[in-house]
Amino acid sequence: MGEAVERLTRLVEAEDRYDIPFADLRDAQIGAMSERFLDRKGKIKLVGHRAQEAGIGEVRSHEDVVKLLLPHTAYKSYPENWLVQSRWDRLSKWLDTVSTERVTVDKVSDAVDVDDWIGKLADNGFFVSCSSGTTGKSAMLVASRRDMDWCRQEAVAAYSWGSGVKPARDRRIFGMAAVAHVARNLATGEAYTAAMQDPDSERFAYPVPPITVGGLTQMVVLRKAIADGTAKPEDIAAFEKISAARQKAVDEAVGIAARAVVEARHGKIHVTGLWAGLYNVAKAVRELGYSAEDFHPENSIYVGGGLKRAKLPDDYREFVYETFNIRPERSYQNYSMQELHSGMPRCQTGGRYHVPPWVVPLILNKAGDDLLPMTDGEYEGRAAFFDLSLDGRWGGVISGDKISIDFGPCACGSKGPSIRDDIVRYADLEGDDKIGCAGTVDAYVRGVA
Amino acid sequence: MSSAIDLKKVAASDVSAAVSAPFFARGEVIEGTDAVHRSRDLGVNFATPKLELNRIVHPRIEVPPLLNVPLAEIIDFLVETGQRIADPNNTFVQSCIDRMCATHILPRGVLENQVKGAAAYLDKRLLNAVVEQNFADPKALDEWVPHQDYTGRRSFVRAFAPRLVHVLPGNSPGVAVKSIAQGAMVKAINLFKMSSSDPFTTVAILRTMADVDPNHPIVKSMSAVYWRGGDDSVEQVLYRPQYFDKIVAWGGGDAINNVIKYLGPGLQLVSFDPKTSISMVGKQAFASDETLDVAADLASADVMILNQEACVASRFIYVEGGQPQVDRFCERLHKRIVERAAASGDARPFDMELREQIETLMMMEDDYRVWGRADGRGCVIRSDEPVEFHPINKTANVVCVPSLDEAVRYVNVATQTVGFYPFDRMTEFRDRLASGGAQRIVQLGEAGPSTIGNPHDAMYPLHRFVHWMAHEDGCVP
Repeated sequence: MGEAVERLTRLVEAEDRYDIPFADLRDAQIGAMSERFLDRKGKIKLVGHRAQEAGIGEVRSHEDVVKLLLPHTAYKSYPENWLVQSRWDRLSKWLDTVSTERVTVDKVSDAVDVDDWIGKLADNGFFVSCSSGTTGKSAMLVASRRDMDWCRQEAVAAYSWGSGVKPARDRRIFGMAAVAHVARNLATGEAYTAAMQDPDSERFAYPVPPITVGGLTQMVVLRKAIADGTAKPEDIAAFEKISAARQKAVDEAVGIAARAVVEARHGKIHVTGLWAGLYNVAKAVRELGYSAEDFHPENSIYVGGGLKRAKLPDDYREFVYETFNIRPERSYQNYSMQELHSGMPRCQTGGRYHVPPWVVPLILNKAGDDLLPMTDGEYEGRAAFFDLSLDGRWGGVISGDKISIDFGPCACGSKGPSIRDDIVRYADLEGDDKIGCAGTVDAYVRGVA
Repeated sequence: MSSAIDLKKVAASDVSAAVSAPFFARGEVIEGTDAVHRSRDLGVNFATPKLELNRIVHPRIEVPPLLNVPLAEIIDFLVETGQRIADPNNTFVQSCIDRMCATHILPRGVLENQVKGAAAYLDKRLLNAVVEQNFADPKALDEWVPHQDYTGRRSFVRAFAPRLVHVLPGNSPGVAVKSIAQGAMVKAINLFKMSSSDPFTTVAILRTMADVDPNHPIVKSMSAVYWRGGDDSVEQVLYRPQYFDKIVAWGGGDAINNVIKYLGPGLQLVSFDPKTSISMVGKQAFASDETLDVAADLASADVMILNQEACVASRFIYVEGGQPQVDRFCERLHKRIVERAAASGDARPFDMELREQIETLMMMEDDYRVWGRADGRGCVIRSDEPVEFHPINKTANVVCVPSLDEAVRYVNVATQTVGFYPFDRMTEFRDRLASGGAQRIVQLGEAGPSTIGNPHDAMYPLHRFVHWMAHEDGCVP
């Protein structure tokens, strides 16, 4: 790690890390991005290619960096057919184009399935996390062991700042969502448990089978086979049966979780999950006849992500808080994405997400190819970030999110840049007005999505 | 979102900056800037009048205005319309092209040719041929045709004028002319739902018609409006069998899924499905440098139809040969695509996702080779199986196959046109291509033209548009 990067990432333990004005960080951040670029341009093939295309030899400004950012879709640019055909050699070579260290293709090519491939990669120091995108194709994000260590440290530190709760191993954690079984989630999950979980009780694991990458890709594989016309009716029937069984487990989990949380109501609890799942459990808790007054007044919550297209009543947040007796100051929300290894915790007073000094916010036009001029006051655009902490892959990423940023101080007093709590995905804003005669076989595949 | 709600969000500055897109309701032009919408591709604002639903629905108690106008008269009217569209002094068409340039991704020259070329469809012989191909007895459009079965039972059958909603596509303005002509020839009551990338052409043509005769039943049978596709506040109200018999829709995905919700007894869908077209090039192309040049040139012509915005434009080219041979084909193909792209003056940038996918393949040198770049000037990708993205914006994916028999498995239910080289191998393949789902097999380089009146999307559309009505007349004594 270079000296400039080191100086900024070390701030993860600094109390005042969200209180540093952007102007004061500017030179240090450009210096650190330049340092990263000089080291990585020869290592990460896609970045080298991008630099060559743009004719960039070094980073002197934010404008330079913009030309070197990778869109979030870069991590799902591999052909899905390789998953279908178990071409781990090709997939490994693809992973190599976005990886800092050379992927040990020979050591992982004989994997028996995708979970085995990911396991073998981890044995060799390549930690792959997957996200399931709205299009169904999973992004594959490679990271290093150092990245995993960083995630453990950073997640708990950001939580502590945002929630105002000093982790004291004094509460029972209730996970209320089926968690994707991927390296980064496992690392942060472990870290939260180590910091917060009361050693006298056990973390409540949501009673659904963990979502593995193999599970995620099973659907992709079938979808592809249907499109190609090679799926037999009984293949589809078998998949439908598995889906129905999964759905049943998901439905039953709500009741099981509700009864468990009611039983644990006298102690301090920390609930975590996604809004849709939390809302369903909260509803079940109410139906059992319990609400705020039955729960401990120091309960806390961490909700990840947005609504993810779930349709909930307008007052879903209040409903969840009121069910589990969560005071506003113990609610933690965080803006991040699988492509980054750092979060932006939401402050209590201003209700805004705060960008830490080792993450450089770059606000682009909607098309994602131009840096918007930095103005006084709040303005909106496509979110892109350079996460200086990232080690195993490139830190510069263009997201699919539309955000409003303010580089001036927040109502909470912090002087660093902050993002308004109204983030939406451009994909969700785009209408369904697209109609034309040219199209793909995707329009002919029903039901498996 | 309703138009009225839209309106409240519109700032005065947006209205003045927006391009005006009037409506047409049963013969009348409706001007107005009550609502401002955004075009799909370029995000340009356009202003429309308020959508008055009562004005675009004919009560069923009224017989369709065109019912007793003879087909010959309708065709004459269409022919005259065609002449006026082609007339350079037609202000409706000129201003339509000006406005369309603001909302459409295609360059002006291509759009001009589209709109004017569309006028060529309004030809007497052509229109008559279309009708004759679609109906065993075209007289059924004009009268109740008597018929008697072998038991002696008598009846009259009429291809009765239907009530149609046409959900027009956004990628090909020429479809507007064709849809108007077809709707007129079946004597339908027509409502055209225009797309956001072209909310102008249909109205410009209808205004040209009204200019010929504002009171002609053809003009009184036509309405053209815009609402945002999927807007429940409109579709939930309009898409009912009490108002329409059939929804004629182009496209797939959300565009069709929105429509499907409203289908039911009495309201049917005639869908022109979204399609992918391909090419197959046999080893005979490698017979000499000349044949290779010919095959590459013909393939490039099919790739570049409407600058690859149309469904007939080829996207995947299966070439029978070894990699070094196929690479020679690719090189020539790329050169010809680049020349054609340059000639049309079209160098739109790629969208981020497609560019990313192509650039990734550029780095996978063992398995892929890319000619050109993802810069909108023409790009060819060679692979040993089809790429998973939809090649668009002058991009061809050449797939290396040891034998064209292998290529047949890549034909699927979304395959429309298969351009073939050499031509004498076509009969050997056509049954297998049809079985796989394909709809047309053509000589390479000829994906665009088709024999007049031939089936489209595996059907005779006009035959499906009409409301087949029987008048049973008892038995012969």
